[in-house]
Amino acid sequence: MTIAGKRARFDRSRLGELLAAGLPCAITTLILLVVWEVAVEITGVPAYFIPAPSRIWTAFISGNASLGYHTAITAFEAVAGFVIGSAFGALLGIIFAYSRLVARSLMPYVIASNTIPVVAIAPIIMLWFGSGITAKVAVTAFLSFFPLALNMMKGLQSYDRTVMEVFHVAAATPAQRFFKMRLPSALPYVFVGLKLNVTFSVIGAIVAEFIQSDRGLGFVIMTAYRTLNMPRLWAAMLASALLGIFLFVLVAAIERWLIPWHSSMRETP
Amino acid sequence: MTDTTSSPLVSFRGLDVVFAGEHGTSPVTALENVSLDIEAGQFVSLIGPSGCGKSTLLRVAADLICPSAGHVQVAGRPPAEARLRREIGFVFQDSALLEWRRILANVALPLELQGVAQAERLAKARALLEMVGIAGFENSWPRQLSGGMRQRASIARAMSTSPRVMLMDEPFGALDQITRDRLNLELSQIAEREAMTVVFVTHSIQEAIFLSDKVVVMTPRPGRITHVIDVDLPHPRGLEVRETDRFIELCRLGERLLSEGFHDNRR
Repeated sequence: MTIAGKRARFDRSRLGELLAAGLPCAITTLILLVVWEVAVEITGVPAYFIPAPSRIWTAFISGNASLGYHTAITAFEAVAGFVIGSAFGALLGIIFAYSRLVARSLMPYVIASNTIPVVAIAPIIMLWFGSGITAKVAVTAFLSFFPLALNMMKGLQSYDRTVMEVFHVAAATPAQRFFKMRLPSALPYVFVGLKLNVTFSVIGAIVAEFIQSDRGLGFVIMTAYRTLNMPRLWAAMLASALLGIFLFVLVAAIERWLIPWHSSMRETP
Repeated sequence: MTDTTSSPLVSFRGLDVVFAGEHGTSPVTALENVSLDIEAGQFVSLIGPSGCGKSTLLRVAADLICPSAGHVQVAGRPPAEARLRREIGFVFQDSALLEWRRILANVALPLELQGVAQAERLAKARALLEMVGIAGFENSWPRQLSGGMRQRASIARAMSTSPRVMLMDEPFGALDQITRDRLNLELSQIAEREAMTVVFVTHSIQEAIFLSDKVVVMTPRPGRITHVIDVDLPHPRGLEVRETDRFIELCRLGERLLSEGFHDNRR
């Protein structure tokens, strides 16, 4: 009845919403872990073949305390590559949206670049950029520009024609049309591209480390495999998955904050 | 504002609009030899069946379509110049609000594009929201509003730069009858109070007669003007004017002229 009463009800419904969103996944995870643990226990599968969740967890939290360090390295490479790749992808998408001619002449190359296996192109990039972190960032950027380029182009072209006419009648300049109309209406598409980019960026960083490195999660996975330290390999996989999810949620949070008007923001994913 | 009454505010002279045919189809003549004068302060409706070119005529005045031949003047200038001087307000059938802006920022958009300072444009937008009857919805998102309220905001936006000519393209076409009656009444009051010059496109004879000083009847293929009805109903008009004999008579006349044109066309 009072404002405070309304507020409490609002908070409770928000909490319920959050629970409803997270609960199914939490229950699934719990069931999966229990079944996995019990199955490994009963069948006696050797740990190098499939380690039990408890052993992976042990490796994850002990891990010579180095897993955190390697994850941080990979996270840095992924984020730096994501930012550079996305900036490049956004620019490319804008150019494509404004020039049909440029889009037609370059699109086949852009598509080709995305279909080249990263394991084939990565060694070449490493050759150009050396064996340090720069090379990993370059590989990551290469892998994570395409989705945004495509979505930016599509987003900029998908504005409402009548809204464009409103801008025309109101004598808007080309810059005003871009910043106040086409770019805002492209934002939902842009975030589809960014969410794809950010997941690819983690893969890109790890694959680059795989090829040649002395640190990072790719390096951990490589060395763990060579020494058949399978719980550590699984722990590194867990770390990379958590990193990917964390970065994805971060981008999704920015999306929620930046485009609260969008209809897809109304229901929780 | 200080126009001499002798020169019309909007004038079309011998206007032709031909759309090039797509993929080998023959060109379509949307308007043929159309001439029409609209005086300052007049409310003029364009009415006719689909394809009669009434929207095209409106869009030519707003510089959204280039005519193939003829002369057009809006506020004493070619449409392109009038548009750049912000003499034209346009209301579309779709409210065409920017989904990413709250209602207040939507209404203030044309002033923002014009470079008017923020405090000034927001004050103006607030006053306009009050005028169109949706004060209190400044901070709503467009999708939270009903169709009628969105259209009110759209009208407020078109009025923000105080244009000398208001062009309205079936603004209430997608609304239910009750909302439409209500908005007709309020638009009529606002137009009279603000001495607005309005060119209004509609399918509805009742709406046209109720709102207008002059109803222009058009026929399709090719689009041209066949009749002009002078509406001599006194101002201000309430909804009850629709029950008067004169109103009903004018509607019958409009209906007859419309169907005449239609039969003409089917020959």
